[in-house]
Amino acid sequence: MHADFDAFYAAVEQRDFPELRNRPIVVGGSPSRRGVVASASYESRKFGIKSAMPMSTALKKCPETVVVSPRFVVYREVSRQVMEVFRDITPLVEPLSLDEAYLDVTHLIANNISPPQIARNLKQKVWSKLGLTISVGVASSKSVAKIASSINKPDGLTIVRPGGEIPFLYPLPVEVLWGIGPKTSAKLHLLSIDTVQDLASQPMEILSGIFGSNATHIKEISNGIDTTAVITQRERKSISSETTLLVDTSDAEDLNEIVMRLSGDVAESLLKKNMRGRTVKLKLKRSDFTVVTRQKTISEKVQISSEIAEPALELLNLELENSHEKYRLIGVGVSGFATSENLQDEMQLRFEGL
Amino acid sequence: MHVSCLQQNLSRALAIVGRAVATRSNLPVLQNVKISTEDGMLVLTGTNLDIAITTRIGAQVETEGEITIPARLLSDFVNSLPDDRIEIKSVVEPLSVSLDCQRFSANINGTDPEEFPPIPTVDEGATIKVDPQLLKDTVTHVAFAAATEDSRPVLTGIKVEVNQSDFTFAAADGFRLAVYEGKLLEPISEAMEFIIPAKALQEVGRLIGTGDTAVEFTVTPAGTHALFNIGNVEIVSQLMPGSFPNFRSLIPAEYKNRVIVQNSDFSRAVKTSSIFARDGSGILRIQIVNDEDGGKLSISSRAEEVGDNQGEIDGVVEGDVDEESRIAFNNKYLAEVLDVLGEGEVSFEITSASSPGVVRATGKEGYTHVVMPMFVQW
Repeated sequence: MHADFDAFYAAVEQRDFPELRNRPIVVGGSPSRRGVVASASYESRKFGIKSAMPMSTALKKCPETVVVSPRFVVYREVSRQVMEVFRDITPLVEPLSLDEAYLDVTHLIANNISPPQIARNLKQKVWSKLGLTISVGVASSKSVAKIASSINKPDGLTIVRPGGEIPFLYPLPVEVLWGIGPKTSAKLHLLSIDTVQDLASQPMEILSGIFGSNATHIKEISNGIDTTAVITQRERKSISSETTLLVDTSDAEDLNEIVMRLSGDVAESLLKKNMRGRTVKLKLKRSDFTVVTRQKTISEKVQISSEIAEPALELLNLELENSHEKYRLIGVGVSGFATSENLQDEMQLRFEGL
Repeated sequence: MHVSCLQQNLSRALAIVGRAVATRSNLPVLQNVKISTEDGMLVLTGTNLDIAITTRIGAQVETEGEITIPARLLSDFVNSLPDDRIEIKSVVEPLSVSLDCQRFSANINGTDPEEFPPIPTVDEGATIKVDPQLLKDTVTHVAFAAATEDSRPVLTGIKVEVNQSDFTFAAADGFRLAVYEGKLLEPISEAMEFIIPAKALQEVGRLIGTGDTAVEFTVTPAGTHALFNIGNVEIVSQLMPGSFPNFRSLIPAEYKNRVIVQNSDFSRAVKTSSIFARDGSGILRIQIVNDEDGGKLSISSRAEEVGDNQGEIDGVVEGDVDEESRIAFNNKYLAEVLDVLGEGEVSFEITSASSPGVVRATGKEGYTHVVMPMFVQW
């Protein structure tokens, strides 16, 4: 499922300032300073005003348009609130930007809740909690869901049932596909490739000529094939914490204590992100600025402070045994996380609002 | 100062105040215990600034006085003495105390008691009286659910609410909530609420021990400190600023299925399954079954590339049971609550695999424990 706000910034402004409702408004920089339109209300879009258009052009198209300065702090807060509403429906939420996200609702459908029910429930919740409308697309894959949410805006709801992907996609213009921008589409139109069907029926050689290594992917998504999963957390390679000492030291007790403290810091970050890693890394910078790193991989994934400190201290003491160096910086890190797929298979749920 | 007291009493008193003595501190005087005399008693005080513990023991006071001396040294020495009368005298130059017991003696250097931080006094405000064993039980059932990492400091505390004749203690981290409601020994006229560090309350529980004297507690009018009176021991704790989340809204109002089981069975099944859960992010899968053989809880876990296991225990099942009567928990959260509940019957309530589960115990009506499940692929 893909959920997308309708003219997000402009809608928030119209919600917060009733005098702006039902009027053409744009959010963006001032025309005198060559600002561009960041978001245009549906009323202003009727005049042909679009996002990213220079503000002066927008005002030429419709001089009555009200120009509002953006309030990004507010948009970020609204975004946080809406992601919370999304997470009420499913913990598997992949935010794409402030105003759109993918939601994996497979488990709800498996529980016999119908896709229209889920989508209507979501739209209704967003409306009642935030007073904003969203457009929702439901489909068997991310790319089709995103297209579905975009074709019936604002306040739209489009459901593409499994098997219905090709009839849904083929008549649409090629621009709906993600990855096809204005330049590519111009090229395609020159070759009389106008609809998704035109694109899907091209032989691979032609597609490779246009899209290079991306051709296979384009061919797949134009046929409604997209197996990428909803990723709740962008994968991180490692989480670490390091500190430069006030005075270089070789004192084992001091160094042990710092390693324990850093392990605690790392544990806190891991806990917040609900991640566990298999590899613990110790980084030491000597007084002469040479850096040594030592790492240890453990059979069980670690998350809490003592689990990290144990191997980290072991590495530290092994290092100290054979050295009489002084150290100026110490770092502790954890890597070797569960892949993002594993992460969404298992997740400790939190209390809402705690 | 010149006093004498029994070795046994002094040793016990030092062990009590030693709980509050700072082990590591920027302020060396905090590693000391303050010894003073008051109304023919010997008064010992230790503090780490978070909490302060004071206790009094019977002594023969020849001359009054006060001094602070290193707590660890003093208690190590006193503990090694024979159980007999110890004579304690303070020496002015150098500032120290001399201890004599039978044919053993020692001199320990001390510091001026003026350097010892003043212990906040709480002499205003309503006094709340609670049964000591009930309070101890409350602390045991609630404190472990408090957060230990302080990304949200307020959650490392325990919310205490007192209202007429009832009290409520609640603790929560992001994943579980423990609430205990009980009766005061005497009603009070004013309602009050505060947040106390879980660690301080755990000390209160420890100090109660097997005691049967009613525990009295008071909060300063400004709400900065609470004082607990436990027999002849006083503990003063800092209170925490901030507001505690509305924990009542986290308790599910109803359930789809409830299973009553013997805790001894349930605990064993959870422990057994935890062996395999160790490698699999601690996931225990619980399925409620109700067939011709009666009600059951099936508890299973698996460790990738290692193996899996399943255990079954009998229980009385309420509510319509279907495929969805199942839930997964982190084994630690389940094991910890079952551990404090002890012998007897436990009720286990669930609504869906993604909504919180509730654990209660028969005979402990005031106790509610809510645990958030783990989202898993079944």
